[in-house]
Amino acid sequence: MSTAGIASAIRDCVAAKTGLRIAGRGTWLDAGRPVSANTTLSLNDERGVVSYVPGDLTLTVRAGTTLAEITDVTAQRDQWLPLDPFGWPDGTIGATLATASAGPLASSFGLPRDLLLGLEFVNGRGETIRAGGRVVKNVAGFDLSRLLTGSWGTLGVFTEVTLRLYARPAVDRTFVVDLGGPEKQVTAILRAIVTSPLSPYALLLLSASAARAAGLGESPVCLIRFGGNEAAVRAQVGALLQVSRPVELETKIWLAVRQLDGDAHSTIRLSSLPQRVVAHSARMLHDEVPFIRTCIDPRRGIVRIIDSGPHNTALQASPVGQPDQTDDRFLSRDDYGKSSEVIFERLPAEAWSQVSPTVVSDPLSRGIRNAYDPHHVLNPGILGD
Amino acid sequence: MVAERLAEIVGDKHVLSRQSELLVYNSDGLPGYRRQPRLAVFPGTREETIAVVRFLADEGLPFVPRGAGTGLSGGALADDIVVVGLHRLKKIISLDIENRRATVEPGVVNLRLNKHVAPHGLLYAPDPSSEAACTIGGNVAENAGGPHCLKYGVTLNHVLAMTVILPSGEIVELGSRVGERDGYDLRGAFIGSEGCFGLALDVTVKLTPKPQTVRTILADFTSVNQAAQVTSAIIASGIVPAALEFMDGATIRVVEDSIYAAGYPRDAEAILLIELDGLEAGVTADLESVRRICIDGGARNVRVARDDAERMKLWQGRKKAFGAMGRLAPHLIVQDAVIPRTKLPQILATIHDISEKYRVMVCNVFHAGDGNLHPNIAYSADDPSESERVHKAMVEIMQACIAAGGSITGEHGVGLDKMGYMESIFSETSLNAMCELRGVFDPQHRSNPGKVVPIHSCKEWHGVPGRAKREQEAAPLEAEPSHPVAT
Repeated sequence: MSTAGIASAIRDCVAAKTGLRIAGRGTWLDAGRPVSANTTLSLNDERGVVSYVPGDLTLTVRAGTTLAEITDVTAQRDQWLPLDPFGWPDGTIGATLATASAGPLASSFGLPRDLLLGLEFVNGRGETIRAGGRVVKNVAGFDLSRLLTGSWGTLGVFTEVTLRLYARPAVDRTFVVDLGGPEKQVTAILRAIVTSPLSPYALLLLSASAARAAGLGESPVCLIRFGGNEAAVRAQVGALLQVSRPVELETKIWLAVRQLDGDAHSTIRLSSLPQRVVAHSARMLHDEVPFIRTCIDPRRGIVRIIDSGPHNTALQASPVGQPDQTDDRFLSRDDYGKSSEVIFERLPAEAWSQVSPTVVSDPLSRGIRNAYDPHHVLNPGILGD
Repeated sequence: MVAERLAEIVGDKHVLSRQSELLVYNSDGLPGYRRQPRLAVFPGTREETIAVVRFLADEGLPFVPRGAGTGLSGGALADDIVVVGLHRLKKIISLDIENRRATVEPGVVNLRLNKHVAPHGLLYAPDPSSEAACTIGGNVAENAGGPHCLKYGVTLNHVLAMTVILPSGEIVELGSRVGERDGYDLRGAFIGSEGCFGLALDVTVKLTPKPQTVRTILADFTSVNQAAQVTSAIIASGIVPAALEFMDGATIRVVEDSIYAAGYPRDAEAILLIELDGLEAGVTADLESVRRICIDGGARNVRVARDDAERMKLWQGRKKAFGAMGRLAPHLIVQDAVIPRTKLPQILATIHDISEKYRVMVCNVFHAGDGNLHPNIAYSADDPSESERVHKAMVEIMQACIAAGGSITGEHGVGLDKMGYMESIFSETSLNAMCELRGVFDPQHRSNPGKVVPIHSCKEWHGVPGRAKREQEAAPLEAEPSHPVAT
């Protein structure tokens, strides 16, 4: 199928008054709210490189291209797309951008929308629209690339994207630090790492259950990744040795970490001020709840609570710095208070109706949705609209 | 009548309605365009700003938000409508050192914010060359960049949240001050909307720790092409300089003749100003790599600034280059196209050919690291023949950049100046999608009307907002002469 084919499929749905479920490889269709659509629009065949200019560090691909394919193509020129969302690397770039999925590298290389230079999409009227461009800096016109990223397909179907690449670092090393000690000691280590001049590519804290699932033993750990030239990495490893006893790991550990959600039915992302998260990290890592894997990015202020257990306990886990709310089986957004934000990445289908009002209920979001998809044919219901 | 009502909100001395007083507001940093506002109002507090916007909404009057007026796209010009100047809103509302963020009013000047946070080892990264005068509100409207956005990103990457007043007078919070939010990225959509979506009442920005080490390198070349090739080689090497700036021979000599003389070699045909920052050890290693790339690429000299004073001097020449152009002629036209970085040598050669064809002197001083060109021509707008040649040369340069796969603007915005090019890079359907987005924020197109997207591209919108109503007003403030465009 081509862009024209996608446009025509959308127009058919408008005419037939039916909704469309937009899917990439379909690896994570249970993320987001349940979609009320009978027809699936698969972008599985929309794959391949449209244009790759290594000297410009830009890559244009069809939206159904997988992250793994992008990794392969760019690795041949010693480049990469530093985007490592949680999940399998056979997910598509279109789905990654549509859901604004990010991983541990985001604290250094930015969120998906920071790596998207331009795109082609088809709106809910079947019109093909281009925004942004193929250059690394661009303010021509209103920023539709930003708007579409994270819109979960509700404003348009991504068909083609231009991405910003980076050169692979000369050195890329990963270390693990055991955080099994007393809370006070762990907090001191974390503060030392976070406030030091270290500038790791990625810094992630795993609870014991998360560490176990990633094959990293039985204690909470800190994973830390340094990249750059030899001298810069050596200096940082030296600094890390001053505050802890790191053990080097192979870089492929990050692939295992990205799959911590693999068998989970619920993933909840809390975010708060970075120092607040640092202050509460040790407690959150040590308060082991059965079946709950906790994964913290202190520099971004992100806490991911992943639940694979039988009882939806993730929904009862305490939010950042809040007292336990074990009475509430399902927390609404407001219960978390203004000191943090919460995003429900994935929940059992029956839980969605109980968690919060729609995320696009404000007049501006509703207006944009109505302008771009007036008949609500694109992923109807996925954002709760 | 309108002036009196506004004066009741902000006080008499903060409303200007005499033509002579308004002259200052009839252009921005790009002197080729002039539009006479009908009046200008300068609220001094958040409450006054809200009251002003709501009054204008009640009256159905269009307006143009304006910061320091340093923009380079004609974006802050008001054609016989109201200017809402925000430079008096200059409170730094809060500073959170631990979490590295600050909340400021829109009129806070970049440099002042930087001075305020410097004692804490922090900085606000976006550094447009006008940083000594331009305001954060203006930065947000234009999604401003600057030399250091090569490594640190543009305004968008440094704004976490805003309180915005929509043209209707409604107040909304965009983004989040405490974390990451789901839903549409309205914060991202608002930044760079050039005053067409409303105005920010406060902005929460991210602050960046000062790098441990900063080294600034001056490499000089006897050919423009060599400097362009070296730029591409540095980018391809994977080193991410904090800044990578290019100045050609013509610019060097203008700067060296001015009070901003920086000690650049006058006989060079091009210089690169390269800044590396980060951890001491890493910077030292990258410095050696950059030096080698420059010398292999034909650099005549590679000099590293010995201290902060020398560094500042090298930067002053770059940042004041546009100012120095004032020595050549009274008017300056500057473009802002971005091209794929591998096309730099080719485009610089094309610009040279175009300048010869039209007998104009094009000076090139630009952000080479991200391919963001600023070809500029000093000229006299009073000379019709010269003006015509300058105009034609600029159109051809822009067309060459578009043909090379580029964008028409990297950081200055579309404003009035580049609106005519929007149809060269976007289809009618794409432009209409932009109009629709604007229509959600400002259904009546009352905020900065007639900018960014050509009105005929908007399927649902063909009127000039507010004009009919204005013309019906019983007592016009003053008779206004028309001011033709001077380009």
